[in-house]
Amino acid sequence: MVNSAERSADNAWSDAALHAAPYPVLVADPVGTVRRANEAFGLLVPDAVEGSALCEVLPDWLLLAHDRLSAAPAPHAPPPRGEVAGRSFEAHATRLPEGEVVWWLTDDTDVRLAERRLLQERNRTAFLARASNELLSSLNLDRCMEVAGRLAAAHLADAAVVIAPPRGRALSVVSADGTGAHSRQLTGVAPESVPGLAEALRGFPPVPSRWIDPAAAPEWLVPEDFGPVGAMVVTPLPGHGVPAGALVLLRRAHHAAFSESEESFARLFAARAGAAMSAARLYAEQAQITETLMRELLPPRVGQVGGVEFAARYRAAKDGERVGGDFYDIHPAAAPQDESLVVLGDVCGKGLDAAVLTGKIRNTLHALLPLSGDHVRMLRLLNGALLSSHHTRFATLVMASARRRADRVELRVTCAGHPAPLVVRADGRVAEVETHGNLVGVLPEIDAVTAPLILAPGESLVLFTDGITESKGGPLGDELFGDARLRRALAHCAGMPAEAVAEHVQMLATEWVGVNKHDDMAVVTVTAPRGSSRRAPGGTPTEGHGA
Amino acid sequence: MTDPSPARILHLSSTAVGPDVLRITVRGELDVDSAAEFQDAVTEHLAARSGLRALRVDCGGLVLCDSMGLSALLMVHRRTTALGVSLHLEERPPALDRLLAVTGTLDHLTAPPAAAASTPPSS
Repeated sequence: MVNSAERSADNAWSDAALHAAPYPVLVADPVGTVRRANEAFGLLVPDAVEGSALCEVLPDWLLLAHDRLSAAPAPHAPPPRGEVAGRSFEAHATRLPEGEVVWWLTDDTDVRLAERRLLQERNRTAFLARASNELLSSLNLDRCMEVAGRLAAAHLADAAVVIAPPRGRALSVVSADGTGAHSRQLTGVAPESVPGLAEALRGFPPVPSRWIDPAAAPEWLVPEDFGPVGAMVVTPLPGHGVPAGALVLLRRAHHAAFSESEESFARLFAARAGAAMSAARLYAEQAQITETLMRELLPPRVGQVGGVEFAARYRAAKDGERVGGDFYDIHPAAAPQDESLVVLGDVCGKGLDAAVLTGKIRNTLHALLPLSGDHVRMLRLLNGALLSSHHTRFATLVMASARRRADRVELRVTCAGHPAPLVVRADGRVAEVETHGNLVGVLPEIDAVTAPLILAPGESLVLFTDGITESKGGPLGDELFGDARLRRALAHCAGMPAEAVAEHVQMLATEWVGVNKHDDMAVVTVTAPRGSSRRAPGGTPTEGHGA
Repeated sequence: MTDPSPARILHLSSTAVGPDVLRITVRGELDVDSAAEFQDAVTEHLAARSGLRALRVDCGGLVLCDSMGLSALLMVHRRTTALGVSLHLEERPPALDRLLAVTGTLDHLTAPPAAAASTPPSS
């Protein structure tokens, strides 16, 4: 038994402990009223004075927890959480022997905030990783813009507009409003009509995101049926040193404006979208350059010109470089009594450098055609045009001027650092044409010897690149096709038309390399037609294969 | 045939034969993949030694030289000529000789410096 003196001493002690407690504390008695509340609790809930009904003063979540506690005590349940006076609390209950319950509230607002931020950061990181994957999955610029617009509308704002740097007068725009993305080409729209857009599209110098007054936004910038715009921000899309475009984010009027953290997150997204878009643009440009070059470099169609048969075969190396180093051209005679000029060449190296040099050579030779009566002079002029102090890339080539004289073909053949062409006689003899000279493009002075040659009907001149003779293959896979094998093969070609000779050489070399890696292979044949083909001189190229 | 074997990889070693003569021994393939490396290495040697009179390139171990390899040799020749260094391509395998002969570069690359004192174009 405890006497009343002790009891009041107890109360005094517990009162002191209660008030000194660093947490808001409330003591509820079994009948549902406030028995005690310390000062800290009073600051949160001023109405919680002694004797007031719990149901009138406690926040709902705490009242609910209190009722549950007295109904069915669950010792291992997580402590209830809720908000009081704008802060977040965890409530811990202690039951006293006489049925009273003490509620201790611990403030976990900062913990909750940190947890929320952590979750947000995790979500953002996951989103950025997913966005990068999606953005980089296509090298198509339009597709890239659509993905960027859709992702931005779904995760960063209510609607997003992706704008590519202008090409000519048209502005390419993708708008996305959460229901999907659609693209438009806008002509006659000036980027200057949106404050900050022109600067963002220029890409340099870098500009920060810029808020715009929604009222100043032109109509084309706001997706249809979007409603009133509450906030709008223009963010540049940084590319790999090239302007990639701009991202405009829009929020509806009733939504909160963009916070600072949302804005910096939008910049992180913009960096990824910009990188993907500029990669797509660079790729598109590269593909276009290659396509243009390829179109330029496509071997010409050949056939019979002025009573002389021409045929050609070309097989590009299969190692991924689309533009190889071999080329040929046939310039038909302007008049029946004139010469046609055929050129076969091999540029050192591969890829863009080789393609550029090839183009230069072909154009220069074309321009020098009026001088083709003197091959050596033509080659010297070409050599001078190609010389560069920056590199020693060169080309080897062989040229042949041909014209029909009665049933024969008269030729002048000149080699510039190139394997000498072979002549296939009517009786099956195969001989090297005796011409030689320096390669073009590196040496300050060059020289060459032009060989005259006459083909009787059924005889052929065969020009080839070393891709044929140096192709490796055969039964063991490592043997050179070689000059001797080529000569033996050509010995069987006596009397054949130009097309058949070219086809035969190409076929043998192709069979020889099999699946092996090989260099470009080109072969051009010039043939004096046999008696039966009495075509009128002066015809134009009619048939044949380009590649 | 496309296996990378040690014999195919370009290997360079250099020895000072005298105070003003450097020998560079080349082994392996001088081709589209290794031409730039060869050119850079020789250029560095040339830059590192002033007063050099002769550069002797021992080609005995050269198993292949393609058009890019020849381009690199031509660039090396251009550099040595500009510096007044005489270039000697020694122990040339038959295949290299054939390449130089067909392309009409044998005389240019092996002529004594006085005859090859052609200055590179300055375009």
